[in-house]
Amino acid sequence: MRMAAEFILRPISRKYDKAEHEPPLEMEQLNQAAAAQKKETGMGDDSVKSMDLGGRSLWAVISLEQMCWGDVGLFLARPGTGLGNAAIMAVGDKDQKAVWGKRWAAMAITEPGAGSDSKNISTTAVLEGDEWVLSGEKIYVTDGDRCDCVVVWATLNKDMGKTAIRSFIVEKGTPGFTVARLEKKLGIRASDTATLIFDNCRIPRENLLGGKEEIETDINAAKKSFGGAMQTFDNTRPMVAGMAIGLGQAALDMTRALLSEEGYEDNFGGSMHTQTAIQSELEMLEAELEAARLLVYKSAWMMDNKMPNSKEASMGKAKAGRIGNRISLKCVEICSMQGFSEDHLLEKFSRDSKILDIFEGTQQIQQLIVARQVLGKSSSELK
Amino acid sequence: MQDYKTEHPFDITLSEEQQMTWDMLRKFAETEMRPQARKAESDGRPSPELLEKIKALDLIPLIVPEAYGGMGLEQDSVSNSLTLEALAYGDLSLAMSVSVPLLTAQIIAEHGSEEQKSQLLPEFAAGSIFHVGLGVNNAALSTDPYQSSVLVKESGEDIILNGAKTGIAFAEEANSFLISASNESGECNLYFVSKDQEGIELESKEFMGLKGAPFSQITFTNCKINASQKLGGHNYSIDFQALIDSSRIGMSALALGVCQAVLDYVIPYTNERVAFDEPISNRQSVAFLVADMAIETEALRLMVYKAAALKDLDEDFHKHASLTYRFASHHGMKIGTDGVQLLGGHGFTHEHPVELWYRNLRAIGIFEGGAGV
Repeated sequence: MRMAAEFILRPISRKYDKAEHEPPLEMEQLNQAAAAQKKETGMGDDSVKSMDLGGRSLWAVISLEQMCWGDVGLFLARPGTGLGNAAIMAVGDKDQKAVWGKRWAAMAITEPGAGSDSKNISTTAVLEGDEWVLSGEKIYVTDGDRCDCVVVWATLNKDMGKTAIRSFIVEKGTPGFTVARLEKKLGIRASDTATLIFDNCRIPRENLLGGKEEIETDINAAKKSFGGAMQTFDNTRPMVAGMAIGLGQAALDMTRALLSEEGYEDNFGGSMHTQTAIQSELEMLEAELEAARLLVYKSAWMMDNKMPNSKEASMGKAKAGRIGNRISLKCVEICSMQGFSEDHLLEKFSRDSKILDIFEGTQQIQQLIVARQVLGKSSSELK
Repeated sequence: MQDYKTEHPFDITLSEEQQMTWDMLRKFAETEMRPQARKAESDGRPSPELLEKIKALDLIPLIVPEAYGGMGLEQDSVSNSLTLEALAYGDLSLAMSVSVPLLTAQIIAEHGSEEQKSQLLPEFAAGSIFHVGLGVNNAALSTDPYQSSVLVKESGEDIILNGAKTGIAFAEEANSFLISASNESGECNLYFVSKDQEGIELESKEFMGLKGAPFSQITFTNCKINASQKLGGHNYSIDFQALIDSSRIGMSALALGVCQAVLDYVIPYTNERVAFDEPISNRQSVAFLVADMAIETEALRLMVYKAAALKDLDEDFHKHASLTYRFASHHGMKIGTDGVQLLGGHGFTHEHPVELWYRNLRAIGIFEGGAGV
């Protein structure tokens, strides 16, 4: 993984940062290399390719960390990798996993009027005969253009709030489903971020992914239903947090490499009197990164051991998201004009890192989730 | 490059024995130590009754080798960290009343010469805890933490000490001291100095925190000791950096216990304290401080366990111990200050323990040699 990151991703990092919206063809090589490795050793990185996380979450987190040490944008643009796959694996039934498990699945939740507030989405799903009819607009869909299919969140009845939210699998090319535009972004430019329009888009009845066809009237069943959908995040947050760890490590490594050309050496464990400002700064950043890494590993380890990990997943995502961003920005500052320059990738890391503190739940959403759990509060008490 | 050791998979499940010990010590900390914290502060030391109870925990005789009358149980570093964390949950200075002698006994058992061991360990085994004072904290500001502010000159059988050490716990009760001192070539070792030795001056010191235990400074002026008083004997040299690193993991474990105490205190407080007709914890500005406190405390816990586990695996733990101590120092103080902030004016008074924890947490990052793993 790390070799692939270093020798396949890094050399093309700048190229696809500049050539926004151009699919990085080299990423297919990576898939082929992984397939060859699997054939040879019987061990593969399917868990990363399809995000099949059963029992191997920690392994997946470490793999993602290594890939994103190379380049987060390219990793996200790797064919076959999508957050929709994690959703299918987390809540799909056996048949759905068999049919869709190996397809590249994006995830479409956010709408122009609802981001973190995902229970307020207004894309609708109506059952007509043996088909669901989807209508609405989805934005910021990672891989939305290049994927094979999209997991779309929609409501069966907007007045019923979160109890009526369901997720559906929509195949690319289904009539009524169009890619309306691609975003220009601060970072992760190698990855496509699309706006999707669903206009009376008809999909098979069995493409309902999470939850039942009827809206539960029993409050507890309803809560459980939405909780089931949200559970996807407990699985995907450690992954995204792992990306931030990889990026943070990359920024620190590159900063050290640049500094060492000018004679810098680490001085771990020194005091304020014996460390230089940069030694001290790097030690603190490294400590923060290691702390974040351990939180993320723990949340993945809990997943592998079938322990409820909602709080820990958010702890790891909150810490890793903010630290990845802080480290990358600080590294630009430490490396001064070289850090700010496009001669090196530090400036790119600092742009890429920002999204990792936003998608799969912003910093503030993670804090909210942790706070509610720690303080024992409902979402109506702690808004 | 990050080095992943797949042969050591990530696992943080405690063994049954670790869990039992932890439960027992945590309960002791809550029921015996916490209620005594204020009184110990005003008395400047733990009460004799509490000290008896602390001795009855047998934490020190447990690790003294059987040959010297102890139980000879080899404790792993992770278990030691758990012990320190559990005790500090009660009170940091009271926990240090145990952790300092525990570290001292550990050092002597591991590095002492036969003569030093047979002279000092049986007393530890018999329940005495303060007969050897440990002098590691430097009195001079700019001394490298892996060096000593006491300088040593060795010439033949004579060793001359000059300089000062501070923050020595229970020095008044000690018969001898184990002092770190650096020689001209920058090697730092430990030396036994008897209390009645000529050329030493003992002075009691008050600090902003850790007031529940007495601390002193020792100043050496041309203090002449014999070569045999070097820890391990004349030709022995200790890996002083590893000693400090181990102690830093221990101090971080203590910090963790205090951070957990702060967190567990502010949760019910902010849930019960009503302002503007609802609990203050219903506000994000309050709730997010608590959330961050929980995040950093959990992170510190994992840092401590990992550092201790690396030591147990005989890996190089210098870097991780340094990172852990740095993290403990920074986030420990942040948690300490947020703890007072969340209680507002109430937190500033002696009516609540958060101001005490605030003062004690400032010791983390400053105190060396207060605990070991």
